[in-house]
Amino acid sequence: MSDHLTKGGRVRAAGAGQGPDRAASNGHAVEVRDLTRAFGSFVAVDHVSFSVPKGEIFGFLGANGAGKTTTIRMLCGLLLPTSGTGSVGGYDIVRDSERIKMSIGYMSQRFSLYEDLTVRENLQFFGGIYGLARRAIAARTGELLASVGLAETADKLVGSLPVGFKQRTALSAALLHDPEIVFLDEPTSGVDPVARRSFWLLIYELADRGKTVFVTTHYMDESEYCSRVAIMRLGRIAELENPHRLKERYHASTMQEVFMRVESENGQ
Amino acid sequence: MNRILFSIVRKEFTHIFRDIQSLYLVLGMPLLMLFLYGYAITLDMRQIDTAVIDESHTPESRELISHLSSTDFFRITARDVPLSDIGDLFKERAARCVLIIPPSFARDLAATGDAQVSLIVDASDPNAANFIRNYVGQVVANENQALNPERSALFTVSPRIFYNPDMRSANFFVPGLIALILILITSLLTSIAIVREKETGTMEQILVSPIRPAQIIVGKVLPYTLIGFIDGVMILVVGSLWFKVPIAGSLALALGMMLVYVITGISLGILISTIAKTQAVAMLVAVTLTVLPSTTMSGFIFPISSMPVFLRWISDIIPATYFLEIIRGIVLKGNTLADLYRQALILLGMDILLIAVSVRAFRVRLG
Amino acid sequence: MRRIFYIVQKEFRQIRRVRANFAIIFVAPFFQLLIMGSAITTEVKNVPIATLDFDHSVASREILEAVRSTTSFTYVGAVSSEREAAAVLDRGRAKLVVAIPPHFEQQMKDGEAPRVQVLVDGVDGNSAGIALGYIQATLAREQVRMARFAPLAAARAAPRASTITVIPRMWYNPDLMSKLNIVPGLVAVLLMMLTMLLTAMNIVREKEIGTLEQLMVTPIGSIQLIIGKIIPFFVLGLMQLTVGIVAAGLVFGIWMKGSIFLLYAMAAIFCLSTLGFGIFVSTIARTQQQAMFMSWFFMIFSLLLAGFFIPIENMPQAIQDITYINPLRYFIVIIREIYLKGTGFRFLWKEALAMGAIGVLALTSASLRFRKRLK
Repeated sequence: MSDHLTKGGRVRAAGAGQGPDRAASNGHAVEVRDLTRAFGSFVAVDHVSFSVPKGEIFGFLGANGAGKTTTIRMLCGLLLPTSGTGSVGGYDIVRDSERIKMSIGYMSQRFSLYEDLTVRENLQFFGGIYGLARRAIAARTGELLASVGLAETADKLVGSLPVGFKQRTALSAALLHDPEIVFLDEPTSGVDPVARRSFWLLIYELADRGKTVFVTTHYMDESEYCSRVAIMRLGRIAELENPHRLKERYHASTMQEVFMRVESENGQ
Repeated sequence: MNRILFSIVRKEFTHIFRDIQSLYLVLGMPLLMLFLYGYAITLDMRQIDTAVIDESHTPESRELISHLSSTDFFRITARDVPLSDIGDLFKERAARCVLIIPPSFARDLAATGDAQVSLIVDASDPNAANFIRNYVGQVVANENQALNPERSALFTVSPRIFYNPDMRSANFFVPGLIALILILITSLLTSIAIVREKETGTMEQILVSPIRPAQIIVGKVLPYTLIGFIDGVMILVVGSLWFKVPIAGSLALALGMMLVYVITGISLGILISTIAKTQAVAMLVAVTLTVLPSTTMSGFIFPISSMPVFLRWISDIIPATYFLEIIRGIVLKGNTLADLYRQALILLGMDILLIAVSVRAFRVRLG
Repeated sequence: MRRIFYIVQKEFRQIRRVRANFAIIFVAPFFQLLIMGSAITTEVKNVPIATLDFDHSVASREILEAVRSTTSFTYVGAVSSEREAAAVLDRGRAKLVVAIPPHFEQQMKDGEAPRVQVLVDGVDGNSAGIALGYIQATLAREQVRMARFAPLAAARAAPRASTITVIPRMWYNPDLMSKLNIVPGLVAVLLMMLTMLLTAMNIVREKEIGTLEQLMVTPIGSIQLIIGKIIPFFVLGLMQLTVGIVAAGLVFGIWMKGSIFLLYAMAAIFCLSTLGFGIFVSTIARTQQQAMFMSWFFMIFSLLLAGFFIPIENMPQAIQDITYINPLRYFIVIIREIYLKGTGFRFLWKEALAMGAIGVLALTSASLRFRKRLK
């Protein structure tokens, strides 16, 4: 396991460790153009465009209500965009939303686990849902539990575990079917700093193996672990850049400062 | 103190109005039930499917049959089927009863004056079977009367129906419905409101403030008291305007008793909220403790006197039993408090007991 | 498909963990049947009756004695004035008062046909009517016995009176026991409550805690999801049916005359419709509270409009028409026919077809609504 969390982000060469080829996209894992989603008269996501190459750790920052979760939901096929286009893993999010699902893993803000099942039973269930064979499920479960350090608590009810353990269980559930793209919606909220750090080590692991990680967070320090970050504000992307270069541009020493500036700048 | 109470009450009302779906249900369901119960529940039978087997084929037998079919009660759906088919007839539900007039019918009448006819009844619904037997008996009695015009009875029997001269089912059910709806709504809503705060953790939040548990309870209870009361009044109003249920007694007394009864439901709800950990459990317990007993064992539809003894004991501890006597007494019989003081006292007693128990239980859970 | 298997496995694991579920399926039906089967009766028994005798003659005493000893009545006492009679009815101490007018015996002798009054508390019209019928039958019998008090008047009757007597024979339920009608119906009702309520609550709960969203992100199809959800509750329903059947037999001594296999087959079709309704409710309700309310809403109306204790034929035509979409209506007919008459499929296919059609309709509309999308 690489204990190499560098500030200033990691830049991965595109094309490293990718899965089988698929139609469209010039190698980009996620690509959206003018993606928009309105709820009645409220525009939650306003003409957002970006693309995420394979193997990148892409961070999505923003205050609550900025549109981060809505964007992720559109990318996962949970919501239909009001307008705009997007593709995930080469599949169109409007026409082929079901095909996307096999190649993505999703970890929701609430962790969405069955509290009255054990860790192992949760994993067995989701493994089966993803169509894995019984032996594959057993193998993957063993692997994942070991790599996230849950091997001893595997047979405890999820409801009885502290938040950090639930978090790791939820991540494992999202990774069972070895998806190329992983969407993590505020995966570290409510988790203590030590657990947060080891969680990011896991994310680095994933990226090392060629997975694309799309992560939303409002912990500014975490944003520095990403290859690039997009700062969302009122449904739009205010900045999209490597965090190191952002700090340079804003003459800031932390991303926290950058963020505050972005917020105040745009808030006329 | 009043300001704190006010803010809880206001919050509760906000919850209520935000959840429009539940609000519709709470206000709409009673009305719908009212209409259904008012129109649908009648044990009077009409147009009973009847088969007739006339083995006599004489003017006398035909006369009997025509008397039968000319009433609204019977509808002749099969004639002269073979006896062996009666079973199938019943299984097909093509007829509920079969009248068999034997071949010697007319001869017997002329010779000895006594003739017999057979009535085979599908008694799978015993209540209907009773009715059928009585109705046929009535038709035959009329026939007997027609055959013997000079015979007069030694004495006549004249029934006088009190309180509900036409024996309308609406008059019976509408006041009863108030009892049912009130206890269901008040206990259910109150228990859910409190448990919901427990579940979401906001109860903890409230308790951290200087508020006293009594204030929480009163604050939560007031809005639902109001809603329950509105439901009760609504049923009464619609019942009397639409269903023409007469209100013989004092409206003020009825409303006052309603209030007492509503408080019973609410304290029941509070008690339930101390036991239930989740909303689902609260609902299940509330419904089991209120709807089931109040519908079946309070005298709402089924007479208590007909129940086995062990169930009558249960009836004695159901609040609805007493309120039913009260509300029916006031609305239909014009009872005054003097007539109903026993039931009123029992209800009040239940109120006090339930409130005391639930307040204590509430405090215990918190402490 | 295998995915369905995993959903079913998960559901059973969750169900097994909750101890209360065992009580609900195996214990509750016994109590529910016992209590409701005993309470729900349209028979009239133990009706409190009072007497009012203005004549105090041998004849009046004899009649009132006969009235007092009529079965189904409980004598609560004699009153001495009409005001007292009215008070006793007002307070509910008696439901009927039989009043013999003054000079009763004399008037009979003189052939003046005195009038016996029966004061009836008409609030509960149905029971009142039945009770009145019993009293009138008693009094009719007394007419004959009174003849010896008024031999002249009796002799004036036609020498040869013709009487037609009706000989009734009650098939399937010779003692006219309410429970034979109610208990099988209760078994049906309990089955509906379990399958519809639990299904709706279960799915809405997953909505609330967020696991439904998690499932939507997976490649599982919505149809597979629905089937996976239905199967466990289907099994639970059939288990509860079994307990219900056993309970009906052990507690009330009511065992079915007809084919047990047919009953289970019909129950399966019935469950299709109730489960379909349950899922349909879960697509509309956003919280468990709403799911509960809606399910109860459906159930109360289904109960009322199913011919459970009020025959459908008694209802106004407009309401009768509504009952055609109520699956419980058909299943109650079916279970009663199988239990009491041993009816075979030959006469029940129409009901089976109706239930099946409703079931398919319910499931189809439920799965159409059950999109794998939020909002």
